[in-house]
Amino acid sequence: MLLHLFFLIFVGWQVFEYNGSTIVGMVGKNCFAIASDRRLGVNLQTVATDFQRIYKFHDKLLVGLSGLGTDAQTLYQRLVFRHKLYQLREERDMKPETFANLVSAVLYEKRFGPYFCQPVIAGLGDDDKPFICTMDSTWSSYFMYIGQNLELAKDCVVAGSASESLYGACEAFFKPDMEPDELFEVVSQALLASVDRDCLSGRGGHIYIVTPDDTKEKILKGRMD
Amino acid sequence: MESHKDCEINAPHSMGTTIIGVTYNGGVVLGADSRTSTGVYVANRASDKITQLTDNVYLCRSGSAADSQTVSDYVRYFLHQHTIQLGQPATVKVAANLVRLLSYSNKNMLQTGMIIGGWDKYEGGKIFGVPLGGTLLELPFTIGVANSISSLVPTFFASLCGSVTCNEKLVNSLQVHLLAVIICSGSTYLYGFFDQAWKEGMTQEEAEQLVVKAVSLAIARDGASGGVVRTVTINSEGVTRKYYPEDKLPRWHEELEPQNSLLDMLSSSSPEPMVS
Repeated sequence: MLLHLFFLIFVGWQVFEYNGSTIVGMVGKNCFAIASDRRLGVNLQTVATDFQRIYKFHDKLLVGLSGLGTDAQTLYQRLVFRHKLYQLREERDMKPETFANLVSAVLYEKRFGPYFCQPVIAGLGDDDKPFICTMDSTWSSYFMYIGQNLELAKDCVVAGSASESLYGACEAFFKPDMEPDELFEVVSQALLASVDRDCLSGRGGHIYIVTPDDTKEKILKGRMD
Repeated sequence: MESHKDCEINAPHSMGTTIIGVTYNGGVVLGADSRTSTGVYVANRASDKITQLTDNVYLCRSGSAADSQTVSDYVRYFLHQHTIQLGQPATVKVAANLVRLLSYSNKNMLQTGMIIGGWDKYEGGKIFGVPLGGTLLELPFTIGVANSISSLVPTFFASLCGSVTCNEKLVNSLQVHLLAVIICSGSTYLYGFFDQAWKEGMTQEEAEQLVVKAVSLAIARDGASGGVVRTVTINSEGVTRKYYPEDKLPRWHEELEPQNSLLDMLSSSSPEPMVS
């Protein structure tokens, strides 16, 4: 009886931490990296260690969806649907900035019954300028970091249960204008360091490094605890 | 989304944990993981949950870190006095009873479960459990009882203790007079394993391997257990502490190579709503 009460509470209060997830996006020189952990859990129990959270919409647009696993998958299906319709109508791929607006519109439609999902959108925009952004699940606060134009001090976005650790790790490791290889190192180290301090994320990492010419996908082996 | 996380960082440190005590022919082996969590944040990833009470009796702690540390400090103090008065090393049963007395008398305030293990010259290796509430449990696996060291019948006890977190914000908002909400963590994954893997009359090597394998299985599945595996072996010769970092632990499920896996015939795992 007590146990049932507990699990009910867990979903109500900590719905973003029910499955556990972590996503980080980082900008480099004409490239970007987006990385996620691989664990899918039900509260503390680990159910899968190969769960995919980052989805590719086209060669220059990747989206990571953290938060509740079921909402991440459903949201992905809805976004793919909208994007494919756009491709049919416009006969071209969607720009990342446009896509970010689409995601926020789709999320806001459910303002009073939201998808419990925090997306991280990363892409190469016009002239292959890297673009990353994240937003909360009802778009009530919209954080956008454009790689080259605004020259902000922070060029990383984080989401998920280890996001607070990730803020610290990214701040420490990030340098502007990193080449793809160095960017890969930095993102991997920041991700692994942060998920090691989180009970609900981890079991390795899934990293995509995207340059104008190709996309590299790498799987990291991390602590399996 | 951020606001509900605040109460977690200030949550009491708890050890969602896996602790094990196993006796073998000649002594006991205590094992534990090393993760201490505050909510879902890992406050200490290399903590030592096996603390010494006397030269021959050790204690595995789980639940609230503060409560278990305080109880173990008190019991160590009482046992020290007891040893001086008695003139010889304290028995495991006395240590377990002291833990039980403290746990039971303060059951409204304490949230900790413990395993006491040790070796004494009267009963040999013994394991006692004191879960939440202050029960004293000595679970023999067989019915035979040993009167001397030479005819020791090994007994078996696996921890029933898990992590206990006290979420005050939760309690206030729901107006429920719950002092604690219990998460049965690492140990739940081990009942079936022990049913299958435990046997009587193990040697020290076998018992240690069993404990390490069990804790690593729980670490693989339980989010609240992790870090390294520590074991303490207590027998008539003394006490040995061992430490198993991640690379020395056996590997499970996701890290094993698939053999004749049915998944090979499935295509990619990501859901594609429209097939082009």
